[in-house]
Parts: sequence; C-alpha cells; structure tokens
Amino acid sequence: MLWYKAWLETRTRFLIALGGMTALCAWRVFELNREAPSWATLSYHYFVLRSAHELLNMMWLIAVTLLMMGGLLQEKAAGSISFTLSFPESRRRLMSVRIAASLLEAAVLLIVPCAAMYGVACLTSPAHSLTQVLFYLLFLASGGVVFVGTALLASSLVEGTYTAPTVGAGILLLCGNAPKSLAFINPMDFMNLRNHVDATNLVIGPLPWGHVTAYLAIASTLIWTSIRLVETRDL
Amino acid sequence: MRLAIETHDLCKRFGESQAVKDLSLAVLPNRITAFLGMNGAGKSTTIRMLLGMIRPSNGGGQVLGHNIADPAQSIEIRRNTAYVSEDKRLYNYMTVEQVIRFTSGFFPQWRADLAATLLRRYELPPARRVSRLSKGMRTKLALLLAIARRPKLLILDEPSEGLDPHSVEDLLETLVSESAEGTTVFFSSHQIEEVERISDQVCVLHRGSLVMDTSVDELRESWRQVDIVLPVSPHPGDFELTGVKRIRARGQQLSVVVNGNVEGVVDRARESHAKAIEVTPLCLREIFLQTTKE
Repeated sequence: MLWYKAWLETRTRFLIALGGMTALCAWRVFELNREAPSWATLSYHYFVLRSAHELLNMMWLIAVTLLMMGGLLQEKAAGSISFTLSFPESRRRLMSVRIAASLLEAAVLLIVPCAAMYGVACLTSPAHSLTQVLFYLLFLASGGVVFVGTALLASSLVEGTYTAPTVGAGILLLCGNAPKSLAFINPMDFMNLRNHVDATNLVIGPLPWGHVTAYLAIASTLIWTSIRLVETRDL
Repeated sequence: MRLAIETHDLCKRFGESQAVKDLSLAVLPNRITAFLGMNGAGKSTTIRMLLGMIRPSNGGGQVLGHNIADPAQSIEIRRNTAYVSEDKRLYNYMTVEQVIRFTSGFFPQWRADLAATLLRRYELPPARRVSRLSKGMRTKLALLLAIARRPKLLILDEPSEGLDPHSVEDLLETLVSESAEGTTVFFSSHQIEEVERISDQVCVLHRGSLVMDTSVDELRESWRQVDIVLPVSPHPGDFELTGVKRIRARGQQLSVVVNGNVEGVVDRARESHAKAIEVTPLCLREIFLQTTKE
C-alpha cells in the first residue's frame, strides 16, 4: 500500500517529466540529424552522445530533484503527517518505500528517454554502438545517485514543500559552476564524462569503477543519514 | 484489569517550554474518556506521545499494554488504535475512494461493509479528490477511516470540529455504539456539552498537568455551588475549607464552589447565621471553567 501511495503522490510529476524528457530527447536527436553536415551523416557518438546526453543529464537532474519533493517533513508542512504516522508502519519502512519508488522512477526517467534517443538515431542513420550508450548511462546513473541522495537529505532536513527542491537546485548550481580543478570529484562532471571520452566522444580507457563505487557509497551514506534523521526526529 | 492508556510522570519539553508536565494518566478500557483542556494545554502533545510521533522527554507509558517509547511496540499500538488528528488533513492527491482503499490495506480486520455504509450516510463522493472536500466532509472521511479499521482504541482530537449539528449527533451516537461494542474511546473536545452527554470519565489537563481525573457521575455528585446570604458582609476567608474551589463575595452574598465538602460549607454558613442557603449542582462546563481558571 505504501507503494500505491508513493505512486499516487509522484505520478503527475513523474509522467510529466517522462513525457517531456522523452519528447525533448527524441526531438533533439532528430534535429541534430537534420542539421548535421553531409560529411557526418549523424555520428551517434560525436553528436548524439555529446549534445543530447548533456540535455538528458540536465533534465534528469531537475526531474529527480523535483521527484524527491515530498516525504514526512513535507507532509508535516502540509498537515497530513499525523495521518501517515497513524499507520502501523515504521518510519524506516515509510522512508524506504519512498526512496525505492523514487529510485525506480529516476531509473525509468533515465532509460526511456535514452532508449528514445537511441531509437530515433537508429531510424535516421546507420546502426550505433549500444555498449557506448550503456557506458553513458552508467556514468549518468552513478554520478546522479549523489544528487538523489542530496535531494533526499535536503527533504529530510528542511520543512516546506518547495524548500527542499530549492536547496537541491542550489547544490546543482554549485556543482555546475565548480572549478575545473575539482572535476575529478565533481559528480556532475563525471555524469558528463569530462575526463573519460576521446575527441569523438567514445568512452575510453578502463571504466572508472573507483569513482562509481565512491559515488554509490556517498549516495548510500546520504540516504542512510536521511533515514536516521527522520527516525529520530519528533514529527 | 489492563488499562487502555497508562502514563507515569510523562513529560515533554520543547526547548524552554514545558508542554506536558509529570502526567500520570489511567484510561480504563471499553469506556469513553474525555480529555479536556484549553488551547495549548498539552492534549495534542500527549496524544502524539502516546502514538509514538514524538518522544517523551521524561517518564513513560503504555497503550494497550505496549510501551510508547519503543518504536517496535509503537507499531503494535498503531495496529490496534485509530487516530483522528485535530486538523483531519489527509492526502490531497488521492480521491475518497483511493484513500479508503489505501487505508484498508493496512488493517486485515477492515470492515468494508461499515465503510460502505458510512460512505453513503456521510454522502461522501468516492471520485472526488480529498483536496476538494469541505472541512466537514474531510472530518467525516477521517472518522470513516478510523472507525472502519475496527480499532481497540479510538483516539480523536476534536472530532466534532467542522461538523454540522446533524453530523455531530451522528458522531456521538457512533462513539457510544463503538464503546458499547468494546472499543475504548479517548477524545479531546472543546464542546463540553457533548462531552458531558457521552463520557464516562473526564480528564482535564491544564498547563501540561492533570488537574482532574474523575468519572462524570462523580463530578455530578460532588461538585456544588453554594449561594449564601449572610446578615453582614462576609469575610471570604471564613469559607476557605477543604474542597472549596472558589469563593466570590458581593455585598452580603457569598457564592462558594465546592468539590465534595458541601456539608462543611453549609455548616459554616449556618454557624455564620446565614439568612438563606441554596445548593445547586454544577454542569461540566462550569466545573471545567473552575478547574482551569488562572
């Protein structure tokens, strides 16, 4: 039933984001193909992965920040927390289901627009490497979970419906404008594959599993901290 | 007999403010207990502690035999307790039908037949979003969700607020019938007349402390107002006897509110050569005002 609640709570935001992102990403690839110079009959790696992937990154980060709106503190601000806390469920379970549902939705928001981009590219030009697309997805997802964790922590620290996404947006801006010297630890740079592609935008070298593990560990810590904060707090 | 609610020296502080102070409460099962107090007396804070929403600063308690401070036991409390909060806020993004389906999923003992009956009786439109319900309708929906889960304990915070007189009557009848079926009802209200009509027990909280815990029958029997007319202007200090709660003098008249020691006051009046003595019972409203007067 908590899954049902999580779905009803987020479905409008999620479906709007999914529809909008899929349409925009597909349109972007279509436009790139149309505008591509004749000598380059749409190089998937060179055009699609670079330009459309950055668009997807940006939209996905905004979407997950908005998706993470909600939670017990926001319910406190809206007044429905007494109703939620009157059910025979632990706060840990309330939080876990919400986090799991949000992660699932975030994954769909990643995969469906990406599949749309790949589909349009396949329809408009010769075959492309699916492996490279999966590499790009891996980078986006592992850097992105840090922002999911940050948005969750913000929504577990501050009350008010729009306060948490505002804080989340602030962190996004900070990362987006971080100095180049910090690129090796900046998850946003990692999502955009700053140091991991060659001149044609192909993923090169061994996959940075160290970074992936580190970002997953940071995200897990942020999520665990959020759950503990909500568990121990008077609501 | 196991108490439905039992607290020992329960305290809650929010920073410098002491919301609940050394509260020792004993609520008997299968009865209707009213929990009264002025705004900010600590009623809602107490209820939230009983349900594990906030942690006591000191002291402890049990609800249906489970420790209120233990998160695991708190789940058991909520499994058998229905709670309607003061503001009756539900999920605005759900329809009436969806919120009923959602709630029913947590309670295997859910009474679908009763929920359907109440839905019709309260004239709640199943397809309407909660955000578009009036306050009265939201209150009715919250009551439906509480009653249909077949709780052992029903905790209601201002249940009649926002209801029209017909709905209030309906609510009071429902509470009495739930109690008759074995549900313990613990409710707060500012509508003292309603409380007096249906309650078996009354607890009054004032500035976080329990100032009264007694049965309604006992209240009716023991609280009296004694109006005395004396031959000379009285000295109120002469009537400061055991059980006397208030003395008001006006000219040769004296009005004494007393709990239990009516005979003592009447005897003192006679000793003072009273020209007239009239003893009248007090209603709960007057008693409440007396006990919570600053």
